[in-house]
Amino acid sequence: MTGEAPETQASPAGPPEVRAAYFAFDRFPSTKGSAVHIGQMAAELFERFGGGLLGVLGGGNLPRYQWEPGSGIRIARFGERIPNLIDRAEAYSAWVAAHVAPHVETLRVCHVRDPWSALPVVTAPGRRYPVVYEVNGLPSVELGHTWPLAAPATLARIAELEDFCLERADVVVVPSGVIGTALRRRGVPGERIELVPNGADVPPERPRPDDAPESYLVYAGALQPWQGLDVLLRAFARLADLTGLRLVILSSVPERRARALRRLAERLGVEDRVVWRFTLPHAEVAAWLAGAAVSVAPLTGCARNVDQGCAPLKILESMAAGTPVVASGLPAVRELMADGVHGRLVAPDRPAELARAIRVLLEYPDAARAMGERGRRRVREEFAWAATRARMATIYRSITSNSGITR
Amino acid sequence: MNPCGATTGFFVLGRCGRAAVTVCRCGRQICAEHADQQGLCPECSGAQGYADPYRPGWARGFRRSYYQRSSYDYGDPNLYTGYDIYDRSGFDQGDDFAIGGDVDPDSGDGGWTDS
Ligand SMILES: [Zn+2]
Ligand SMILES: [Zn+2]
Repeated sequence: MTGEAPETQASPAGPPEVRAAYFAFDRFPSTKGSAVHIGQMAAELFERFGGGLLGVLGGGNLPRYQWEPGSGIRIARFGERIPNLIDRAEAYSAWVAAHVAPHVETLRVCHVRDPWSALPVVTAPGRRYPVVYEVNGLPSVELGHTWPLAAPATLARIAELEDFCLERADVVVVPSGVIGTALRRRGVPGERIELVPNGADVPPERPRPDDAPESYLVYAGALQPWQGLDVLLRAFARLADLTGLRLVILSSVPERRARALRRLAERLGVEDRVVWRFTLPHAEVAAWLAGAAVSVAPLTGCARNVDQGCAPLKILESMAAGTPVVASGLPAVRELMADGVHGRLVAPDRPAELARAIRVLLEYPDAARAMGERGRRRVREEFAWAATRARMATIYRSITSNSGITR
Repeated sequence: MNPCGATTGFFVLGRCGRAAVTVCRCGRQICAEHADQQGLCPECSGAQGYADPYRPGWARGFRRSYYQRSSYDYGDPNLYTGYDIYDRSGFDQGDDFAIGGDVDPDSGDGGWTDS
């Protein structure tokens, strides 16, 4: 390894100096896929730089400050309850600014995950560190889907904020080629964009969950409209003749988020056959994924998924569990799995087609099992977290040695 | 023995639980590893190192001065102070599934294991 190996960093009087910081406007830890991603990326950063500061959202009973003796890692959590999202985002930006300021002299790299983290980091007075801006999604696109009352002009302002930060970032990291293309279209020079795919690790064999039905389809993830759970419920209604089959929905978000979908399940007459589980720990999700006949990722064909792109961790984690996947054949999904090889790809937003693809896999369990096996192999060979982290390590190495700011 | 009440862990959080040697000013029992030189727990010690964002009104005041400074520095007041009441109103209620966490403390997605 090069000069990033931990050096002596502690002044005898105080805590270790902060040479790397990672900021995300997201709760950590949490049961959402984003938290797995944040944890892996931040862990790699801190390993390169002998610890550092992780600035994330808290709330609940998460402590505002935490630090591990010996690891050099400190965690700061923004825990103010500010109901309005714009107010909360701005207050968070100010909080990030206050957490960068004391370390501006010693920071050798800052990694951010969204524009509200990026703004204070790219504009910090006295900044000498390079900034890595990881774009997994664009709030200017996503907020239009989750907040129907958001005005187009407001989303345009958020897009301006994104552009402002993208211009000033030294490296822009994207999890899929589709997002990279979207950013090039928005004017980010291609040479600053680095593709770092999401990862997954093949989990250790675990027993089937005690309360798992005999035969079930599984959906794992959040419940935003672009996930296409409504399409999945409609497809499931078309499988009513398979009386023993259940649909297990492993929601990474709390139960009250599921109200509208539960109403839809009732209306479709399938609610008795849908099994809901909320915010399960990651290891339990892995066991449920492994026990399923088919894992479904019914992403819709909306702008958020198609133009902006996405990199659904649930597909990789299903593959890692050895379970065949039926997913919408969006460009970003094709970067992860191939039709007929690791499962089936179907047109988005077509319940009948989705139901048909699932039915075929259920009817040919040997072929389905082979697809699951190939998926597991692909994750092991191409999408292990170790590979993702190795790419990040290369990026950190190149920006800290080229920028002339290494001390 | 009084167990240390400091939070430990990264992906999965837990309590330290080593034998406490002191009590922080917040009342938490703290072991030798987790106490700083003033005998503060990591939470109180960490808060000391930064401007106090939890003073009531801090966020609003700091935010205003921060955004005013940024707008001044970058000559584009609209970018930073441009969210007006109509912009904000679209984000008052509804669902914040993906961005910016969840303001509901009972949401249960804190990844907490032992409390
Ligand atoms: Zn302790
Ligand atoms: Zn304390």
